[in-house]
Amino acid sequence: MISPLVVAVTRTWYFPVMVRDEDGGADADGVPAVPVGRVIGTEDATPLEFWVAVSDGQFLQLDDVVALERTPPGRGPVRIYGVVSQVRARHEGARFDSDVFLIADGVLPAEISEAAFVQATRFEPEVFVPPLPGQLVRKATGAERDQALFFDEMRKSYKALPAGLTRDDEPLYLNLEFLDGTRGAHVNISGISGVATKTTYAMFLLYSLFNSGVLGADALNTKALVFNVKGEDLLFLDHANNQLTDEQRERYERLDLVPGAFRSVEVFAPPRRGDRNGAPDVAARATGVMSFFWTLEQFCKERLLPFLFADAEDERQQYTMVVHNVTARLMEAQPLGEGGVVIEGAPVRTFQELVDVVTAKLSDEDPQEAARWAGRAIGAGTINAFIRRLQGAVDHVEHLIRADLPNPLDHQVRFDAQVSVVDLHNLNDRAKRFVVGVVLRKAFERKERSGQAKPLQFVVLDELNKYAPREGTSPIKEILLDVAERGRSLGIILIGAQQTASEVERRIVANSAVRVVGRLDAAEASRGEYGFLPQVQRQRATIIKPGTMIVSQPELPIPLVVQFPFPAWATRASEAGVAPSPPARADRRDTTEVGRTASDGMGDPFAGFPSP
Amino acid sequence: MRFTVETWAPEYSGAVGAPDAVPEAGTTVVDPNVELPVAEWRPIAPLATSPVPAPRVLFIDGVRRVEATVWISDDGGAVHRGLCASYAAGVVVCDGIAQIVECRLERGLFCSLANGEPIRTRRLDFGLHVVAGGGDALMLAIQKRMARLEVEVAAAHRGEASTIVVDGPLRDGHDDPDLVGYIKTHAVAYGPAIVSDVVAALEVGQRTPLMLLGVPNDRFSWYLRLPGPKAHGWSGIVRLEVLASRSVQEVVAKADALARELPRFASAAHKDPRAPQNLYPIAGLERELRRRLGDAAFVLRELREAATLT
Repeated sequence: MISPLVVAVTRTWYFPVMVRDEDGGADADGVPAVPVGRVIGTEDATPLEFWVAVSDGQFLQLDDVVALERTPPGRGPVRIYGVVSQVRARHEGARFDSDVFLIADGVLPAEISEAAFVQATRFEPEVFVPPLPGQLVRKATGAERDQALFFDEMRKSYKALPAGLTRDDEPLYLNLEFLDGTRGAHVNISGISGVATKTTYAMFLLYSLFNSGVLGADALNTKALVFNVKGEDLLFLDHANNQLTDEQRERYERLDLVPGAFRSVEVFAPPRRGDRNGAPDVAARATGVMSFFWTLEQFCKERLLPFLFADAEDERQQYTMVVHNVTARLMEAQPLGEGGVVIEGAPVRTFQELVDVVTAKLSDEDPQEAARWAGRAIGAGTINAFIRRLQGAVDHVEHLIRADLPNPLDHQVRFDAQVSVVDLHNLNDRAKRFVVGVVLRKAFERKERSGQAKPLQFVVLDELNKYAPREGTSPIKEILLDVAERGRSLGIILIGAQQTASEVERRIVANSAVRVVGRLDAAEASRGEYGFLPQVQRQRATIIKPGTMIVSQPELPIPLVVQFPFPAWATRASEAGVAPSPPARADRRDTTEVGRTASDGMGDPFAGFPSP
Repeated sequence: MRFTVETWAPEYSGAVGAPDAVPEAGTTVVDPNVELPVAEWRPIAPLATSPVPAPRVLFIDGVRRVEATVWISDDGGAVHRGLCASYAAGVVVCDGIAQIVECRLERGLFCSLANGEPIRTRRLDFGLHVVAGGGDALMLAIQKRMARLEVEVAAAHRGEASTIVVDGPLRDGHDDPDLVGYIKTHAVAYGPAIVSDVVAALEVGQRTPLMLLGVPNDRFSWYLRLPGPKAHGWSGIVRLEVLASRSVQEVVAKADALARELPRFASAAHKDPRAPQNLYPIAGLERELRRRLGDAAFVLRELREAATLT
């Protein structure tokens, strides 16, 4: 009569667990994956996030990709994929913090429980049901991992751009469609300078773009304009890095990339002050650097004056009227040859002379004459404000705007090579803005004229906060905004970076489809600009190491933590290994190109491309 | 079988106030002179030379919970009172780490109706236990059933350690000489008046001499003081007992070893309301066992659901 039901239990719950799908699942090869744990029922499981208790003898770590299956009533199985974004371990059975000592002494029995917080990335098919407590969870590997992170579809359409590696050296990809303008464009990178390795990551993305084959036949004609704002880091892009270890080489190969230098690079630097030949002002690199400047004729005809006034468009500033009037008068200057101009009879060969002529005109005793230059009803105070600023600019830009050197047309920033590096690091902020503004406008107009988006023009620019600050307007900011808003259709793609996204014009950040974050300051990480980062990743961003980035792309609901390999190109003179290939235009007359190393590299233009 | 569940929660239906333990009927001291003559009774401090404490100790305990009072209608239409209860027994092994190695769980329907049936809810089974008499007899039957489970668990782990501490006195079926009964409360003072005097004089880690207890079976028993504030003569005192199936010398050695071994398991007042007597491993085991009984509200819901279905 008495039939006691004796249940011996050790780890498992004694209630029959309501699990409908005990199938552990299998990866694409049909090999059943080992379950790592089960969905827990003591925390809410939702279609967006859930907790997984980790089984004995298993572990889950941050960024692991997991999968499980649920079969809702009356439907086929739904695969739920997610990424581990937090893991925790705790003592079960302990009530006081000090119980840990009792447990360690073997006095109090307790269980260590490990649980992982999973954020869902994908439902296949899209039936957004929560996973059920008790369901088995497995690590997603191989094809299943690709599916979890949408890499399968990227690969199918040949749009998978290698973007870095996981800590286990598994490749991670960006969807090119969100970079090339098809569905989105622009990359924005934030992070503390020095530790965030923003520029290095931007260059890695460029290298990946040019060498992974995602651009197809367009890769050859795709151009990049890179502004070097700090140090001489980017002046050696065309040299292989002799510090690259075999281990790092393997990491490139994991991404199907061949490690090496950028193949076609032209480096432009401002001329050294006081140098009669206009030799480039760089310390580390002796050869293969072109100096650049603008002639006075270009300055007048191409209306470059406003770029000297960062706040020229600010309507509260009275003297902007003067800027526009003077610009119009300078348009009327007559060429004098070799870049010089004659302004109303006065020959002008240097920027100082130009400023003197303008100053004299504005201060002319004949009020009619002064008004012709300054504009009607402009007060003397306003004119003086303009003159003061113009005079202030002389020291900073006189070596950039001149007509005292022969063959001035050889000293222009060109877009002939695949990568054009424009060095700004020796320039004062005002001169930097001038150069960036003028070069960007040139690139922009070039794309506008060509009338087609492909091949693409990439622009890499750090310190965006200087050129497009959140407050105020300026001609440079207008151009950057133009790039951000119309660049997608024009095929001009901005890879912008800054220490703090909160200081950069919102529309520029907002228009970037791909957002990247390196090490962030804790106060900065809590700002709304980083709303795309889940809380855990915001915390991680404050401790992230150089070489690691958090990358958010529109297709994936949560950002991925990526590591990128050590640069395969030199970032300083001591790393510069293999000499650069000859320049794209070997016939150029270039006084600065003395002693350039001849090399054998003019052969196969596809050398170094991954074999199809 | 038709049954209904008392709408009042079990703690209101008088089922819970029943006695906590089976009274130790008829226990008498047979001989307090087994280790020392009564005239020489004094606190004994375990010698440093006494055997090293066992590196491996097992603790066994059980818990029980009344889930619901049910009213069962027999074929004649008469209504009988029954109790649905869950109870469990388990083992903790302490050998460097404390680990719960076994938990046995049972659920039962205790009632006086001889031709009743077990209650099956959607997920739980309450096996039928027919009890003669009602009222406190039902509670007592639950207690006995849990004690039986503890005995079974103890038997299953026989020989796994030289010391197996059982929470409560040794009972019928506890026939393993390695078992040590561990009694936390002292409703009865055993032996002559000298016993109480010596108990009051015990310092932490000291024990009284052995005495022989009789009925239901012969046991050696002694008192031990655990660490903790000495608020009164009996604070921190536990009584231990082992079967009188080994020689006095062997039991003395064991008593000394336990006097050195047990104090480290004694609980602190802020961590356990029954400190220091409620030992940490036993408290941990009880907590785990209670957890395994399941959520009381959930079990009650299951029972109510089953009642309406029947």
